[in-house]
This record gives sequence, C-alpha cells and structure tokens, in this order.
Amino acid sequence: MFSEVAFLLNSFYSGKALRGQEGTCFAFGCRRHRSCFTYRTLRHTTCVPRVLNVDMDGKLVTIRSRISSIKNTQKITEAMRLVAAAKVRRAQEAVLSTRPFSENLQKVLGGLILRLKKELVDLPLLKERTPHTLVLVVITGDRGLCGSYNSYIIKRTENRLAELKKEGINAELVCIGAKGYQFFKRRGYPIRKYLRVGQSPTAESATEISEYLLAEFLSGEVDRVELLYTRFVSLISSQPSIRTLLPLNPSGLESKGDEIFQLRTRGGKFQLERSQIPGSEPRDFPRDMIFEQDPLQILSAILPLYLNGQILRTLQESFASELASRMSAMSSASDNAKELAKTLTLELNRARQAAITQELAEIVGAASALQ
Amino acid sequence: MGLNIRVIAPDRIVWNAKAEEVILPTSTGQLGILSGHAPLLTALDIGVMRVRITNTWTSIVLFGGFAEVENDEILILVNGAEEASVINLDKANKELIESSSLLNEAKTNKEKFEATQKLRKAKARVQAANTLTNQSIY
Repeated sequence: MFSEVAFLLNSFYSGKALRGQEGTCFAFGCRRHRSCFTYRTLRHTTCVPRVLNVDMDGKLVTIRSRISSIKNTQKITEAMRLVAAAKVRRAQEAVLSTRPFSENLQKVLGGLILRLKKELVDLPLLKERTPHTLVLVVITGDRGLCGSYNSYIIKRTENRLAELKKEGINAELVCIGAKGYQFFKRRGYPIRKYLRVGQSPTAESATEISEYLLAEFLSGEVDRVELLYTRFVSLISSQPSIRTLLPLNPSGLESKGDEIFQLRTRGGKFQLERSQIPGSEPRDFPRDMIFEQDPLQILSAILPLYLNGQILRTLQESFASELASRMSAMSSASDNAKELAKTLTLELNRARQAAITQELAEIVGAASALQ
Repeated sequence: MGLNIRVIAPDRIVWNAKAEEVILPTSTGQLGILSGHAPLLTALDIGVMRVRITNTWTSIVLFGGFAEVENDEILILVNGAEEASVINLDKANKELIESSSLLNEAKTNKEKFEATQKLRKAKARVQAANTLTNQSIY
C-alpha cells in the first residue's frame, strides 16, 4: 500500500497535474517552496489553495478524474493516519511494559553504586578513554512519509560528524533503520554496521545492538559510542537528541525520574498526557547480604543490562516519534486533499457552467445568423 | 512456604510463580537455593536456570544478568530469557555446531568475543532442550 500512496501523491503533485503554471506548486498554492511533500505537509498547512488555471475548453473529464484521484488519496492518507495513531498507542504500551525491569534494575544498581562509590573508576565500561575512534549510532525509520522525522535526525548526525571532523576524531556510523542507512551510504559516509529493527522495537533487537556495541567497545576497537535518537516530546513535537552511550557515566546511573506518555482520546481527538514518575530509591541491602561474587564483578554483570534497557528505551521513543510524526504528516495531507477537492469541485462547476453558457451562446448565435 | 520467583526481561515479565527450589547459573558455577536462604546477590551467566515446582523441574534459558535473594523472594533480571518448551532441539544443535566453527575461525578480539557469546547461548539452549526430553537432570 505504501508504494501506491507514494505513487498517487507523486502523480498528482507532479507537474502534469498542475500543468500550465510556472514553478510548479506542490503546496497547492504556495510558490515559495519546491516540490517537497515533506515541506508541504509541515510548513504549508495554512496555505490557501490558489485558484487553478483550468482551461475552460472541455476539460471537465480531466477535472473529474483528478477529483476522484484526490479523494482516493485522501482515503489512503486518512487510513495511514489512523494506523499510525493505533500504533502510537501500542508503542506507549510497550514503554509501560519495560517499567518493572527498569524500576528493579535501578533499585539494585543504585544500591550497588552506593556501596562501591570509590571503586567504580576501575570498571572498563565506566572508564573514559581518549577517543580515537568514535561510533555514532543513528536511529531512523525504515520508511518515509513521516514528515521531517528522518531528515531532522540525519541533519543532526551530519552536524555532529562535521564537529568531530574538526576535532580530528575518526567517526563511523552504525545505522539503525533503512532511511538513515540509504542516505549515508549514498553519500559515502563510513558505515560500520547497518542493523535492522523491523516493525517495532523488541528486546531482542535491543540486545543485539547492545551486544554488538559492547563487543566493539570492550575489544578496544571503539573508544566512545554516541547515540542519536529522537526524543518524544509530544504528538506534534519531537526532538533529535544526542547522548553518550559508552563509556557509561556513573553519575547518570543513579536514580533519575522517568517520563511516561499516554495517548488518550478526548472528544474524538487524540490527546497526549505525560506524567512524571519519580526515580526508584536505591535499594538498601541488608547488612548480612552475601555477595556471591566480588561486588565489582556483579556490577559489571549488571551494567550491560542497564545499557540494554537504555537502548530499548531510546528505540521505543524514536519509534513513537516516527509514528507521531507520520500521524501529523498524514493528517495535514488529508486536510490538503480535502481542500484541493473542494477547490476543484468549484472549478468543475464553473467550467461546466461556462461550457453550457458557451454552448447556449453558440446556439443562439447560430440561430440568429440563420434568420 | 516456598520461593517466590520473578524473572524479568527488558520488555516483559517472563516468569512469576512460586517454587520449592531453584538452581541458578551464576558466573561462579551452579547455585541451588531453597526457601529460607540468606540474602544474596549474584551475577548470572548465560545458562540454564532450573526451577522445581513440587516434583517437576522446569528449565529456562537465561542470557546473562543478576539475581537477588531476600526473604524467599528471588528477583532475576536478565537480558533475555527463553522457556525450554519453545526451544527447537534440532535448531539449537545446528546453532551449536555453527557457532563453534565460528569461534575456531575468529581472529580478532571482537570476533572471538562475539563467537563466544553465541556459543554459550547455543550451549545453554541445547542443554535446556535436552533436559526437557529426558526429565532427569544430572
């Protein structure tokens, strides 16, 4: 269905559909921007469609077929909006289901850190190294038609790469999601690995990613790992963000609040509620607690879990942002289609009337010429 | 009296049930726990956890993590887990052979690390699937 939509959209945003006009306008009336669907949906929702220059000489069939094609597209974009909305809901449930894990992990981790305050520096996962090789993990979506979601994160990555180049640090990319991979591959950026996540982020894919990164980091091939993902702020806003994944920052491990978002419907409209959840208190271990291994060793077994949880969380947030972005893109596409169909219907009626008037005038003219 | 066992993976609660006895694959060897055990914290390796409910043993493959024991409550957090009943023995055996040849061919540190992880997972899977077919363990 996806390619079909793209095809339809292309076919009626293309020059053919609005022939006879200069600087083909894809914003249904705006001359400022070029033929970018993304731009249109984001920036031009308020653009008033320009009256179309339709030839009056019997183009009724053309207009009719355009109206029906636009209405079809509108149905598809509307369906995609609803699908995205339903998926956002599921994404939010997935975030909630990671709560028991992260809560318990934070408790034990906090307790261990309290106990180990001074010895922490020796752990390889926490040790800061001079970055010779740096890896940027970029999370993008697999598909387009989701507003500026992919392009924002790609731009952010390019900026970061330029910064690193200036500092003389060798940076490579680990791409998660097809869009980013295609972009960077075409432009010849060094790609270390391309990982697929599929339809929705799972714990398995998070484990795969974290195991890969851990292997790279612990074997000394990579000195630092940074993660570029999209922070989910609300349904209409998301924020490309960057954070250091490895080495782990011991102060960041301690209890931190968490935010949970929930999608609700109110009066037929989707609404987002964000709630703040306080961080879990560090666990107070009983004094006679047996540490089966050296506490440091236990900690180094727990840290990969923490990394895993973090990656899963950012994957989920990026995924939710993608869906939200797609939702709003598709909703403005539907609105535009509606507007366009309305204008075209007006135009159709006008053309029909003109044709009738002309015909009448011709008949009258002919009749009077005969007399 | 009995143990309350919770196994939690990043995305779900794998197991939440009462049991009489549990054997954990800790990083320093197998560790059996009965009710009334002293509080304990241990790192878990990739391996098979065995749980006894009345007289039947159940196996769960754990992919590394840690376990905490206190007041007959056992909390196990893992990277991932698989119940023995969902493991296909033939597939697991094939994986085992593949990963051991992978380890033999590994040259760099990183390749070795990855191959070892894979091998250990495959071993644990085979072990769990085997205990399922012949109920007696050890």
